[in-house]
Amino acid sequence: MNPRIPRADRDRPRAAQSDGHQPRGALRGEIAQALPLIGPAVLVLVAAALVPLSMAVWLSLHRSIVVFHHVEFIGLKHYRFLLSDPRFLSAAANTLYFTAVAVATELLLALPLALLLQRSGGPFRAAVLVPWAVPTAVSAKLWAFILNPDYGLLRVGWLSSPRAALHAAILIDVWKTTPFVALLLLAGLQSIPEDVFRAARVDGAGPLRIFWRFTLPLLRPSIALAVLFRSLDAFRVFDAIYVLTEGGPGHTTETLSIYAYKTLMRSGDFGYGATLSVATFACVLLLFALIRVRR
Amino acid sequence: MSARLRAAAACLALLCACARRAAEADRLVLEHQPLFGDPAPFRALLDDFRRQNPGLRLDAEALPGGSDLARQFFLTSLDAGATEPDVLALDVVWVPEFARAGWIADLSAAFPPGGIRRDFLPAAADAVVLSGKTWAVPWYLDVGLLYYRKDLVPRAPRTYAELRDFARAAMARDPTLHGYLWQGRQYEGLSCNFFESVWGHGGAVTDRIDLDTPAARAGLDWLRETLRSGLSPPSVASASEEETRRAFQDGRAVFLRNWPYVWAEVQRDGSAVKEKVSWTTLPTASGAVGAGALGGWMLAVNAHSVHRAAAERLIAHLTSPDSAVALALAYSRNPARRAAYGDPRLVRGAPFIAALLPAAASARPRPVSPYYDLAADGLQGELSAAIVGLRPPGEALRRAQKMVDHLAQEEP
Repeated sequence: MNPRIPRADRDRPRAAQSDGHQPRGALRGEIAQALPLIGPAVLVLVAAALVPLSMAVWLSLHRSIVVFHHVEFIGLKHYRFLLSDPRFLSAAANTLYFTAVAVATELLLALPLALLLQRSGGPFRAAVLVPWAVPTAVSAKLWAFILNPDYGLLRVGWLSSPRAALHAAILIDVWKTTPFVALLLLAGLQSIPEDVFRAARVDGAGPLRIFWRFTLPLLRPSIALAVLFRSLDAFRVFDAIYVLTEGGPGHTTETLSIYAYKTLMRSGDFGYGATLSVATFACVLLLFALIRVRR
Repeated sequence: MSARLRAAAACLALLCACARRAAEADRLVLEHQPLFGDPAPFRALLDDFRRQNPGLRLDAEALPGGSDLARQFFLTSLDAGATEPDVLALDVVWVPEFARAGWIADLSAAFPPGGIRRDFLPAAADAVVLSGKTWAVPWYLDVGLLYYRKDLVPRAPRTYAELRDFARAAMARDPTLHGYLWQGRQYEGLSCNFFESVWGHGGAVTDRIDLDTPAARAGLDWLRETLRSGLSPPSVASASEEETRRAFQDGRAVFLRNWPYVWAEVQRDGSAVKEKVSWTTLPTASGAVGAGALGGWMLAVNAHSVHRAAAERLIAHLTSPDSAVALALAYSRNPARRAAYGDPRLVRGAPFIAALLPAAASARPRPVSPYYDLAADGLQGELSAAIVGLRPPGEALRRAQKMVDHLAQEEP
């Protein structure tokens, strides 16, 4: 069966774009009007993001260890050390694994949940969002209680096991953010015109076929957005794991943010800590580029 | 929080601090850990100082309870050269590092090292007097203790072998019991348990961080062995103080290593083990009195403070014998002053604290090295890896030692 209607639907915005061609003078006028409007936002971005980021990069080129009371320019030495630092490599691997497994699981669970939410009323939708509304540190503490082998609800020793501990953190992330992903997908579902489904039904398509041929392809932009949001967020994971295990046992749940935080604030090694932060930022940027390209 | 956000927050905090400082030149600021409980007795202590120093405004600010957060606060503000806080409460292990970094003032003139050694317990004095100079004054202490169920074991164990045998006998009678609970989560509490075990196996206190020694290997072997043999449950590898206290208080274990605060909790109404618990100093391999790790908070003066003399007066006031007794009675803070333990008010009002003297007097500080905090994070990771069996203890210690040596070499 050919998804004729969706293709026509996709063509519509392109036609609208070509209609909206404007003469040069009007464009210049618009730019003049836009500058003061976006100015404050750009200023905030520069002050809150660009300046601290440049400072972090500058700091990462220095040896600056609190206790030595001495700052010295060392160029790219930290970055060279980074590439052979087994703790960095294991933290990067943990972070990637956490992101991949958590985001994939959340998507798989959120899709049916979104379909369910589409057919249900406000109270149910609100109830589903509860885990997402609980602050992460609180929900991590809650789960630590639930998992506790001595007095918990589930009484399992996952947090003590080098193999299971990271999966416990993934479980909490999935529990917490699946509703958020479902909400994103629900928004996507509701933007698909109802006549698409009606026409498909008239043509004799069954529910499964409609899902695979129409719902899923038309939901792709929303799925891509959810993957982008969640991957970038999951990659920076800190609070849940910090509260659960502080990166233990034996660094097996240590992520890049936790390694960076500990190096900066516990060890007081500002130079290498900044290097780790910059590396994390570079990884996030890379991830962003990868996902954007795949869209 | 991302690093960028954190940096921005730090900048903002500093801006606020600067604005505040400019406005109030006669303000003395004390940053300390929250004491919890009724604020009135501590307020009364501060009011005494205000009466004696009328020209000065004293502001006492409580930091977040977690020592990590307090450390983060000091690291960002002191590294930027802030003149406030004037007086700061430091975790006992931070003193050498802060002194080496030039952040805290040499207090030897106001508090001569000889007087500190005479008036305060030895471990506390060792932690604040470095190469003949006083850098802080001990405020209140913590020390590792062994709690045991007197209804389940014949007497307090003196050696590790006795502890194991007593626990095994009780576990044979009741298989649902855990033998020995301690703190094995990857955090500073694990290091405290580790150093206690090292001292218990003949290790000495040094100002170097020596990890690849026979005593250290024996100490870590014992911790690993408690988990491997089932004497301690696997949950110990992710447990901090509260998890183990709770399990012990529910009546699930024979022995518990923890801090003095546990005593009041287990004796509370509703505790499953009320009247069934006793405590003692830690066991050792030889049977000698074991040394508990020293914890607690020390008062130091910001090197950039503009109220040096007033700051020293405040420290003298807060660490006076009377203040030590008041803090013990009102907040169960264990005095760092030797004489306070014999004070009749304390003996009558807080007999448990008065009885702590032998444990507090035999406490030992973790390595008093400026590099301790720099190395602590990596050490915790290796210790944790060893106790869960990711690496043999000997290898973990070799790796940790290599890391410490590498860090020490970095010194310019």
